[in-house]
Amino acid sequence: MIYDLIIIGAGPAGISAAIYAARQKLNILMLSKDIGGQVAKKAVDIENYPGFDKISGLELVNLYKKQLEANDLEVTLDEVLSIEKPDKYFLVKTTSGKTYESISVVVTSGAESRLLNVPGEEEFSGKGVSYCSLCDGPVFKNKIVAVVGGGNNGFESALFLSNYVPKVYVLEYGATVNADKENQELVAKHKNIEIITNAKVVRIEGKAKPRTEATASSTGVFVESIIYEDLTTGEEKTLEVKGVFVEIGYLPSTSFVKDMAQLNDKQEIMFDHKNLETKTPGLFSAGDCNVSKYKQIVMASGEGAKAALSAYEYIKKQL
Amino acid sequence: MVKIYSTPTCVYCNTLKEYLGKKNIPYQDIDVASNEKELEHMVAISGQMGVPVVDIDGDIVIGFDKEKIDQLLKINP
Repeated sequence: MIYDLIIIGAGPAGISAAIYAARQKLNILMLSKDIGGQVAKKAVDIENYPGFDKISGLELVNLYKKQLEANDLEVTLDEVLSIEKPDKYFLVKTTSGKTYESISVVVTSGAESRLLNVPGEEEFSGKGVSYCSLCDGPVFKNKIVAVVGGGNNGFESALFLSNYVPKVYVLEYGATVNADKENQELVAKHKNIEIITNAKVVRIEGKAKPRTEATASSTGVFVESIIYEDLTTGEEKTLEVKGVFVEIGYLPSTSFVKDMAQLNDKQEIMFDHKNLETKTPGLFSAGDCNVSKYKQIVMASGEGAKAALSAYEYIKKQL
Repeated sequence: MVKIYSTPTCVYCNTLKEYLGKKNIPYQDIDVASNEKELEHMVAISGQMGVPVVDIDGDIVIGFDKEKIDQLLKINP
C-alpha cells in the first residue's frame, strides 16, 4: 500500500504535523522509535507553551498520545534507516526490515543527546552515566551525582535530581553558566546543588560492586567518580559520584536523510522557508532536525503544522 | 512472566507498558523509585542503573528494545 504521507518522528513537530495532516483526511503513517521526543525527557515543568500555566513533559506526552489516538492515522514504533525516492514515490526503510511507500514525507526526527566523548562514558552508559535524568533520576536516590552542562537542560536536571539526592554537582566547561536567569535563581535556592565552572570533564571512572548474595549474578561495574580539569589552574580534580547526567545539548538526528536533503555543518536540514521543503520535491522537514537558532516546543509545533500543510499541497498535485 | 522495572517519571517506560497492553501481554510493573529492595534486585540482575529493565522469563532486556522484546514474546511487529 502507498501512504499519502509518512511522518518520521513523534515529538512536538511530528505530532503537530500528524494533527494537521489528519484534518486533510490524508492516509498517514507515523514512524518513530518513541513518542514525545525531547519533551519526554523534560526534567521540569514546561511554562512557556500557550494554554498551559505549567505542564510536565510526562503530562504533555500523554496528551500527545491521546490526540494521536483520536485522529485517524497509523502509528508504528520503528526506527527509520533510510529514505529513497527512486521514482514518483518515497521508500522509507526501517530497522525492523520493513519498507514503506508514500507520496510525501515529513521528517521530524528531532535531535539526540550530545555525547561527552571522554573515556568511561560509553563503558558506564546505563551503569551510572545517563542521558535522561527524568527517567533514571529516582534510581539514584540518596546518592551523590554530577550533571555535566551548565545550560538550561543541565540546570533543570539538577533541580529535578535535587529532590532525590543529597548533593548535585553541576560541571560547566565555560567560565560562566548559560542557563537563563530564572533557572539560575531557582538553583541558587537549593543548597544541595553546587555549580563548578571552568570544569573540563576528563574521564569517568568506576569499579565492580562487591559481590553479595543479592548481587551474585551481577556482572555490574558502576560509576564511582568523575574527573575534571580545573581550567583556571590546570589541576585535575576528582568528585566521588555514583551518577553522571550528561546535559551538554543535542545533535540533530539526520544521518538517515543522507543526500535527500542538504545539511549544514551542524548536520541540520536546510529547507525552503516558504514551505519547509528540502531539495527533494515532496520531502519536508520540521522541528529540531532543521536549521534554526532557537529550539523550542512551540516553534517545532509551528513548523510541523506548516510542513504538513505544504505536504498536503504537494500530494494534491500528484494525484 | 513479564516484569517491567520502571520509574513513574519515565516516559519510555510508559510507552513500553502501553505497547504490551495493546498486544494483550500481561506484565507486572515494578516501581523502583518507591521500592529500594526491587531497585537493588533490578541492578543485580541487569547490571544497569537505568530504566526500563524488562525481565521476560529470566531474559533481561535493557531499555525499550522493541525488536528484542518482540522476539522474546513472539510478537509479530
